[in-house]
Amino acid sequence: MKLLTFFAQICAVLAGVLLTGITVITCGNLILRNTTGDAMAGAFELTAMASGAAIALFMPLCQVRQGNIIVDFFTAKLSDAANERLDRLGALILSSLFLFLTWRTALGGLNVFESHSETQIMGFPEWIVYASMVPPFALTGLIALRQTFFGFEFTAEKQA
Amino acid sequence: MTSIQLTLLIFGSMLFFMAIRVPIAVSMFFAGAIGYVLQTGWAPFASFMNSQAFARFAGYDLSVIPLFILMGNFATHGGISKSLFQFAATVMGRFKGGLAMASLMACAAFGAISGSSVATAATITGVALPEMRRHGYSGRLATGTLAAGGTLGIQLPPSVVLVIYAILTEQNITKLFAAAVVPGIIALVGYMTAVAIYVRVVPGQAPEVADKPESMTLAKIMGVLPILIIFTLVFGGIYGGLFTPTEGAAVGAATTLITAMLKREMSFNKFKESFLGTAASAAMIFLIFVGADLMNAALAMTQVPNQLAAEVGSWGLSPLAIVAAILVFYVILGAVMDEMSMLLLTIPIFFPMVMALDFGMPKEMTAIWFGIMVLMTVGFGLVAPPVGLNVYVVNSIAKDVPMSESYQGVMPFLISDVLRTLLFLFFPIIPLWLVGFVG
Repeated sequence: MKLLTFFAQICAVLAGVLLTGITVITCGNLILRNTTGDAMAGAFELTAMASGAAIALFMPLCQVRQGNIIVDFFTAKLSDAANERLDRLGALILSSLFLFLTWRTALGGLNVFESHSETQIMGFPEWIVYASMVPPFALTGLIALRQTFFGFEFTAEKQA
Repeated sequence: MTSIQLTLLIFGSMLFFMAIRVPIAVSMFFAGAIGYVLQTGWAPFASFMNSQAFARFAGYDLSVIPLFILMGNFATHGGISKSLFQFAATVMGRFKGGLAMASLMACAAFGAISGSSVATAATITGVALPEMRRHGYSGRLATGTLAAGGTLGIQLPPSVVLVIYAILTEQNITKLFAAAVVPGIIALVGYMTAVAIYVRVVPGQAPEVADKPESMTLAKIMGVLPILIIFTLVFGGIYGGLFTPTEGAAVGAATTLITAMLKREMSFNKFKESFLGTAASAAMIFLIFVGADLMNAALAMTQVPNQLAAEVGSWGLSPLAIVAAILVFYVILGAVMDEMSMLLLTIPIFFPMVMALDFGMPKEMTAIWFGIMVLMTVGFGLVAPPVGLNVYVVNSIAKDVPMSESYQGVMPFLISDVLRTLLFLFFPIIPLWLVGFVG
């Protein structure tokens, strides 16, 4: 799990760097637009593409930290052990969602690669964003699968 | 299978998954997938999913959300909260319950650069709770104040909840933010009034006023100046037409980071923690988007939401009564469900219903006003028992205060919330007044 958590952190930091990069580019572009009037056309497309990749890269860490919200109202009276068993089942179902997303997004990426799909103004190839989404989705699926079989102990320790 | 049976199956499976602790986003996803596949077959569903993550994550409008979250995280780890609280504590020091009021002011100011309620509650609690306890404030009042104060993070712009509402209903984010300003200020005044009354009516909750209140220093004023500059820059730029809300969020994140670095508060570890905190919040919200998208697509195919809107419209009930009923429903649903998921799930159903009614104002104004009303109930759900997320967050930091005490502590603020909601329900002009000035 340590290795998976490490990769999840790498993904999150990479995504954070991407977002910070967006802020720098946006600020630079704004300064240019409001001073010389000579701004980068289609910078908003770059923002969209980068944030798309960043959000996918955020997913593994969210699962490591059990950040996806559950409703605990109906099971509040069950024992801790029973709740943990349910949480493991929840992790298994979440894992299947992410492995399914990995598969479909990979196929979607191949489709846009073959059709040379690009953003309208900058001509940024969309397959790059698809490709950057697939590994973090697969990693999230693996993390959830690991939690299904070995529980959340390490995660709780990590959060504390 | 009839459309009604399908709708019941979709909702039934979602509730079943949720009840067994499957994450809400995943519950929505699988319930939506069942509904989608039953109506269209596997191939269209699989094809829809090929581009679903890309379509949702790589949209320009939605990129405002991670940027505002990043800005809030830079503010959280950048030591900004401490300066805010010190300034507010000096201003309010001469009043009984002054530190509680100062905490609320700090929450409001922090909320003006953070769009998250939980982040606001947790951040201000970190600096205000020890001070309040040290000065003899009861655990009940201290935790209740901070849990309620946290909701100012979403009541005042920027607000992640409002951004999501704007995207779901295709409304103008700038106008929605403008509409939230006056209600947010009224919320702050209402909460401060609640504290003032509470400390006088219930003895032993707050100490008497110190003989010599702390004096205001230049350092304390300088401490809050950056927040004022960031807020003015971000919202001045957005409303002055210099940049879009997404660009505003980027400017906000950059200036907050620069402020934190100038304060020498942003170590490498805090920088990393800002990213990790952003990761957890943003991923959680966007996964709910993926689940809710599928659920709403499946529901829309059944045509039931449209039929429901037409059916309710034909009852001839007073439009206000329908909105009031929706708000009550939100309060009940919010007691067991996370507010973000609740919005993503129900807005596509309720919004067309509300828009089909005649409130005697333009449709755009109705949409903005309904957004503010929904925001009120979200804030309510964050502190109301049995599951008030903010109360959990604050109580987990205040380890010596029992949860029941914290829930008692939020009661005066909940009364203020109810009064404020009724005020805006009957007088939509209050939130809509400022919108008139936005071009």
